[in-house]
Amino acid sequence: MNVKEPKQPQHPDHDTLDVGGHAVSRRTFLGVLSGALAAGTLMTPGALWARGAGTGVLRVGANANPSSLDPATGGSGSDHVFLFPIYDTLVTWDFASLKAEPGLAESWEFSDPKTLVLHLRKGVTFHDGAPFNAEAVKTNLDRSRGAEFSNIRSDLGSVDQVTVNGEHTVTLHLKNPDTALPLILSDRAGMMVSPKALQANGNRVDRNPVGTGFMKFGKWNDGSEISVTAFDGYHGGDKPTLAGITFSIITDSATRLRAVMSGQADLAYHLDGRQKPLVEKMPTLHGVVGSTVYCYQLYLNMSRDTLADRRVRQALNYAVDRDAFIRGAMAGSGEAAYMNLPKSHWAYDAQTAELYPHDPDKARALLKEAGYADGVTLDMRGYNDQSSVQMQELLLAQFGRANIKGRFRTGTIADMSAEYFAKKQGDLLLSAWTGRPDPSLSYSLMYNQESYFNAGDKAPPEGFAEALLASRSSDDLATRKEALAKVQRLVMGDALVVPLAFRESIVATNDKVENLHNNLLGKPKFNNVSLKG
Amino acid sequence: MSNRVKQRMVAARLLQALPILVLATFIVFCLMQLIPGDVAVTLAGENASMERIEQIREAYGLNQPFLVQYGQWLGHAVRGELGASLLSGEPVAQTIARTFPNTLLIAVYAVLLSVLVGVPLGILAATRSGSPLDSTIMGAASLGVAVPNFWFGMILVLFLALGLQWFPATGFVSPTEDFSGALWYATLPALALCTNGIAEVARQLRGSLVEIQSSQHVRTLHAKGLSPARILWKHGLKNVSVNLLTVIGLLFNKILAATVVVEAVFAIPGIGSSIVNAVLQGDFPVVQGAVLAMVVTVILVNLCTDLACTVLDPRIHA
Repeated sequence: MNVKEPKQPQHPDHDTLDVGGHAVSRRTFLGVLSGALAAGTLMTPGALWARGAGTGVLRVGANANPSSLDPATGGSGSDHVFLFPIYDTLVTWDFASLKAEPGLAESWEFSDPKTLVLHLRKGVTFHDGAPFNAEAVKTNLDRSRGAEFSNIRSDLGSVDQVTVNGEHTVTLHLKNPDTALPLILSDRAGMMVSPKALQANGNRVDRNPVGTGFMKFGKWNDGSEISVTAFDGYHGGDKPTLAGITFSIITDSATRLRAVMSGQADLAYHLDGRQKPLVEKMPTLHGVVGSTVYCYQLYLNMSRDTLADRRVRQALNYAVDRDAFIRGAMAGSGEAAYMNLPKSHWAYDAQTAELYPHDPDKARALLKEAGYADGVTLDMRGYNDQSSVQMQELLLAQFGRANIKGRFRTGTIADMSAEYFAKKQGDLLLSAWTGRPDPSLSYSLMYNQESYFNAGDKAPPEGFAEALLASRSSDDLATRKEALAKVQRLVMGDALVVPLAFRESIVATNDKVENLHNNLLGKPKFNNVSLKG
Repeated sequence: MSNRVKQRMVAARLLQALPILVLATFIVFCLMQLIPGDVAVTLAGENASMERIEQIREAYGLNQPFLVQYGQWLGHAVRGELGASLLSGEPVAQTIARTFPNTLLIAVYAVLLSVLVGVPLGILAATRSGSPLDSTIMGAASLGVAVPNFWFGMILVLFLALGLQWFPATGFVSPTEDFSGALWYATLPALALCTNGIAEVARQLRGSLVEIQSSQHVRTLHAKGLSPARILWKHGLKNVSVNLLTVIGLLFNKILAATVVVEAVFAIPGIGSSIVNAVLQGDFPVVQGAVLAMVVTVILVNLCTDLACTVLDPRIHA
């Protein structure tokens, strides 16, 4: 048997060996060899040539099994990476700033503050051949805001009625002004499902999604693999740059990165900060790194004795050394958070960012002023994974310097979230806000009195509701930015939250992946990605 | 043993298995209730209100007493309906059919490797009992028992997958779709799992053989003038075969349990990783179904081991 190296450098999966004059892949060779070793038998020759990977199929190491592939019924923020290729959204966003951009809606306008008119793209069809038109949009929006099973009813809470005005024009009549809607339509609520598929499947497409996206659904093996293949009829003939995408679900980030290093995947996303140096050092890997709106923060229950006092909440903000937090708990990979938006976001407010520099002396002084000269003791909650515990230890050390004492009670994410938000136990929770495409949505969801995430049900400061409404009453970006700046100053002035750091999105790819860019939402989109060779 | 006796034995063992199955699934169901967390919260999504969570509890019957929930599950399971995942909706039977062959392949592969390497090592150590070779083999075997398989798995990945790139570091292909490919993917996990097995087989075999060799009947065989090789192969190994078979049966069950960890290291979509994910998310139909499949397998393996033992040594159950 003559074994020689392949003449041309190839992917490890496709290395060939010359076995008895026949080209055999190394993988097959070793598979057979190992099989023979185990069983003492040789494989039939036919099996040797049975494999072959299609070119242009992007192999992605994904971090979690999706909760559903129906945009209206899913509940996990990690679903979007699987949903984006299958479903186009009515509106999309600019990767760097999250500004709204045309999607399935070529354009839109507010004919008055309570009427949004969408002009739809023509010549678009769903994967099952059904036409994409105004009726399809109405069907989708009515389902998302009305169906019993829909998890996104609150996203479309401002919509009163949807009317069809011609084949490619839809009008959304609103209960109140809501210029956040275009960006809301860039998320789950804007993902368009084929009405034909909905009709055929009892109004839900959890496991058999049909959209207008550049990829159509192939198969979903729970906790293992999801595959999609190129949709030839995409937007009337625009050829997708990939033949398909295969997502391998690998929950452990170290294993996910190993999959890229050893050639089983072309890219892996949602890697840890600790893995960033490794990605940068490995010559065969490329890192696509950038800030996201995913914000680690301390949620505060403002109905509790100590935290009802604004000065205590402000002391917490002064006590935190955000840069040290990023260095110590996030391996240096992150952006210090002084509000709920990162620097590159279109609505970022520089003035708010200067409110809370690290100043433990000031924190102690504020506590003294609030009647806590000997310091305060807080009942804190957090999660029990290694990374969260590390963050908690670091915060306790920083708080200690400002005379803030206490301990973290830990548990699983589901358990602790329910304990803090639903049962309203504990003074604060170390968790994260995953971000929303429109910042006004984030602010209303976190700080409105009746919001689930406002555990203390405390009324926001005076002027908050008006400023938030103002941010939703104009579609002029400069006006909106000004209104949102006011919202942010009110939130941080009153210290309703302790923002800590924005997580960096770290994606590792091999040499073959081209045109992958970071987006501020931190949920990779593969629309323009291609593979070399 | 006559065929009729054998048939009665098999029937009796299968009947005995029924309460074991009910008990095992009941214990697992009880344990699932003790785990903190609420699957309804997960199902309700990120912005869920308490009302929405309650609606979901009601829709999935999660607000019913747990005995009622178990009774309903058992009633369906008896009819062959294992239900569907609460989270993703995939039928549990489909999950088992998809993931169990992967786990079984790795477990069988690891057991075969354990036997193929462990038996020669055990024989070698026994035939040179007390020699430096014996000490070396037994020393290595002690190390093999002590080495955690997930750690050894990582070492294998480092050298054979990332360094030499001979084998994949992660992933799997289904043996039903591509058997040689599945063997290729299963090699490193099987190697990681077989270290304990090799050590156990070698130690047990050596101990039994040394005992046999010092027995009176082997001394008689030597006196009769039989060659040592003939004594070993025809009399020694035959006598220890029942012990060896029992060890292999137990080893399979042990390896089957250990695949849970190794599947995580190699990102293998096996039944172990399905159970882990389902436990973490409180997805009890998947946990129940997967545990059922594993318990049935263990019962069948034990039954087959017992039957094989009766063939090798007719005195058993005579």
